[in-house]
Amino acid sequence: MTKRWCAVAVVMMAALIGAWSVAPVFAEGDIKVGIMAPTTGSEATYGKDMENAISLAVAEINAKGGLLGKQVVTTTGDDACDPQQGASAASKLVSEGVVAVVGGYCSGSTLPTLKIYGDAGIPIIITAANSSKLSGANPGNAFQINSTGSDQAITAVNLFKEKKVKKLAIVDQGDGYSADLAALTAKKWKEMGNEVVAVEVINKGEQDDSALVTRLNSKAPDAIFWTAYYADGALLIKQLRQSGYHKLIAVGDGSNSPKLMELAGPAAEGVFCFSNPIVEYLPAAKTFGETYKKKFGQDPGPYSALAYDGMNLLADAIKRAKSADKAAIMKALKETKDFNGIAGPISFNPDQTLARSNFVVLVAKGNAWSLYK
Amino acid sequence: MSNLDIIAQQFFNGLILGSFYSLVALGYSMVYGIIKLLNFAHGDIYMVGAFTGFALLSVVSGFLGNGWGGIVVSMVLAMIAVGFLGVLIQRVAYRPMLNAPRLSILITALAVSIILYNTAMVLTHGEFKAFTVGLGYDGVQLGDVFVTYTQMVLVTATAVLMLILHLFISKTMYGKAMRAISIDQDACRLMGIDVNMVIAVTFFIGSALAAAAGVMAGVYYGRIEFSMGFLIGLKAFTAAVIGGIGSIPGAMLGGLVLGMLESFGTQISFVGSEWKDVFAFGILILLLVFKPTGLLGRTEIERM
Repeated sequence: MTKRWCAVAVVMMAALIGAWSVAPVFAEGDIKVGIMAPTTGSEATYGKDMENAISLAVAEINAKGGLLGKQVVTTTGDDACDPQQGASAASKLVSEGVVAVVGGYCSGSTLPTLKIYGDAGIPIIITAANSSKLSGANPGNAFQINSTGSDQAITAVNLFKEKKVKKLAIVDQGDGYSADLAALTAKKWKEMGNEVVAVEVINKGEQDDSALVTRLNSKAPDAIFWTAYYADGALLIKQLRQSGYHKLIAVGDGSNSPKLMELAGPAAEGVFCFSNPIVEYLPAAKTFGETYKKKFGQDPGPYSALAYDGMNLLADAIKRAKSADKAAIMKALKETKDFNGIAGPISFNPDQTLARSNFVVLVAKGNAWSLYK
Repeated sequence: MSNLDIIAQQFFNGLILGSFYSLVALGYSMVYGIIKLLNFAHGDIYMVGAFTGFALLSVVSGFLGNGWGGIVVSMVLAMIAVGFLGVLIQRVAYRPMLNAPRLSILITALAVSIILYNTAMVLTHGEFKAFTVGLGYDGVQLGDVFVTYTQMVLVTATAVLMLILHLFISKTMYGKAMRAISIDQDACRLMGIDVNMVIAVTFFIGSALAAAAGVMAGVYYGRIEFSMGFLIGLKAFTAAVIGGIGSIPGAMLGGLVLGMLESFGTQISFVGSEWKDVFAFGILILLLVFKPTGLLGRTEIERM
C-alpha cells in the first residue's frame, strides 16, 4: 500500500515539474497581459477566435516597438466556459503577475473571476460576455466593451417602431439568455406604449412548431421576435412562412449564423437579425479581417473584432497612463473617451458598461446576411 | 382567425405530428408485442433513417431531381437499408439475450441506442444538416386554414403505410405467425414456426417504418441532426403506451391522440405554450390511472 502511494507521489511530482517547465517564461522587462477565454470545451472555437485576435493585436503592438519601450507578452487562462475552471484560470493569471486581463466569453464563468481580479487590483476588459449580472457583480475593476442584452432590446424596439409595428409577439427558448432578452424587449416595448400579444416558449430541439405557429397567428402579430438560437429559429421561421405569415420576423444575435439561411432556405429572405459587431459587416475592420485570415488561415470569429479592440484599448490606456502599473491602467481605462475601435467608439457608462450600443441590424438577402443599417 | 378555424388548423397540426408519432410508435409496439422488449434504440433508428435518406437523396437527386420522384425512391431505399440494420441489431444484440433476464436485454437496447447516437455524432461532427428538397409551400387555403400539398402527402403516405402494415398482419402467414408468437412463443416453436425468422421480420418492418418517418421528418422540417431521435423516441414510446403497448391499432391511435393533445395543449393553455407538455402528460397520467393497459391494450395474462 505504501509503495503504491509512493509511486503516485512520484508521478504527481513529475507532473508538477513538467507543468512548471512548460509554463511561459517572461523576461523581466515585459508587460504581461492575461487572456481569459475558453480554449477547450464546447465553446473552444469562440475562445480560440478571441485568443487569436488578441495575439494579433499584441504582435502589431510589438512590431511598432511595444509599449513604453517594453514588449507585450500574453499568457492564456482557459476557463472552459465553466465557473469553477474560470476561478482557477483567474487565480493562475493572478499568480503569474499579469497587469491586466482581456477576454471573458461565457458570462457564467466570467462572473466568479471578477472578484479574484478585483482583490488583486487587476483591471479586466470583458470583450464578449454580456449578461446583465456582470455589472452588478463588478467590484470596480471590470470594463465591458460588448453591448448588453438591454442594448439589443433597444436596437430591436427601435427597428419595430421604424417598421410601424403595433402588436409584437416574442418567442424564446426558456434558457437564461433568450428568456432574459425576451423579457427586456417586452418591457421596453410596453414602456413605449405598445402591445405585446404573446411571449411564448419553444423547447430546445423540438421540430414541430406548427401548434405554436397557429397560436401565434391567432393573435395576429405585426412582428415576431425570436430571441434564441439559429437551429430552432430556422424551423420556426420556415413554419411561420409555411403557415402564411408574411409580416416581419426578427431574430436575436444567437441566430446570427449563415446556418440559419441554410436550414430555413428561401423562408429566411427578409428576416432581420440583431448582431454584435462582426468583422465582415464592419467597414473599419477590413484590414483586420485580411491580416487575421493571412495569419491564422481562417476568417475571424463573431467575437474576434471586440477581442482585438479590447487589447488595443488596453494598450491605449497603458500609453495614456505612461505606466504599466495596475492602478494607473485602471484609472486610464476609466477615463477612456471615444476610443476608436474597429467595432465602433468605446466610452464607458458610470457602471463601466459600454456607453453606446454597438449592435448592428442585418437583413437576410439572397441567402446571406447583409448590413441593413 | 375565428375559433372554428383555429380548431380546424390545430386539428390538422395534431394530425401531422401524430402521424410521425404513430409511425415510430408502431416499431415500439410490434417489438414489445413479440419479445416483450422496450427497444430503446428505436428513436435512434429513426435518426439513422433520416441520415440514410439524406445520403441517398444526394445520390438519387442526380438522376431524379430532389422533388417527389427522388424523395420517394430514396425513402424506399432507406426503409430497406435501415430495415436490414434493424435485423442486424436484433441478430447481434437481442437474439442471444432472448432467454436472459428481461433487464439484461433492456440494458443491451440502451447500449445499442448509445452506440447509434454516438456513432452518428462522430460521423456528422455533431452538426445540423439541412435536408434540402425541391418542394414548395403551395397548398390549399380553406378560410383561415392553410394546408400545404406536402402536408397532405405526408398524412396520406402515413395512412398508406399503416394500411399496408394492417393488411400484412391480418392477411399474411407471417402476420398470423407474429400474432401467434406474441401469445406463446414456445408453442409456436413446437408447431414448426421459424420463430427467429418471424422476429427478424418484425424488426425489419418496425425499423423500416421508423426510417420512413425519419426521411419524412427530414423532408418536412428540413433539418436533421444526431440527437433528433431522442425526443420523438420518448414521445412515440409514450404514444405506444397510451394506445396499449403491444397493440398495433393502439400504436396508431396513441400517436394521433398524443399529437392532438400537444397541439390543442399549445392553444388551450392560456398561461403560455410552455405548459403544453405539462398539459399533454397530465392527461396521460389521468388516462393511465383509469385505463392502465392503454386505450386498446389487453390485460396481460400471466403464464405460469
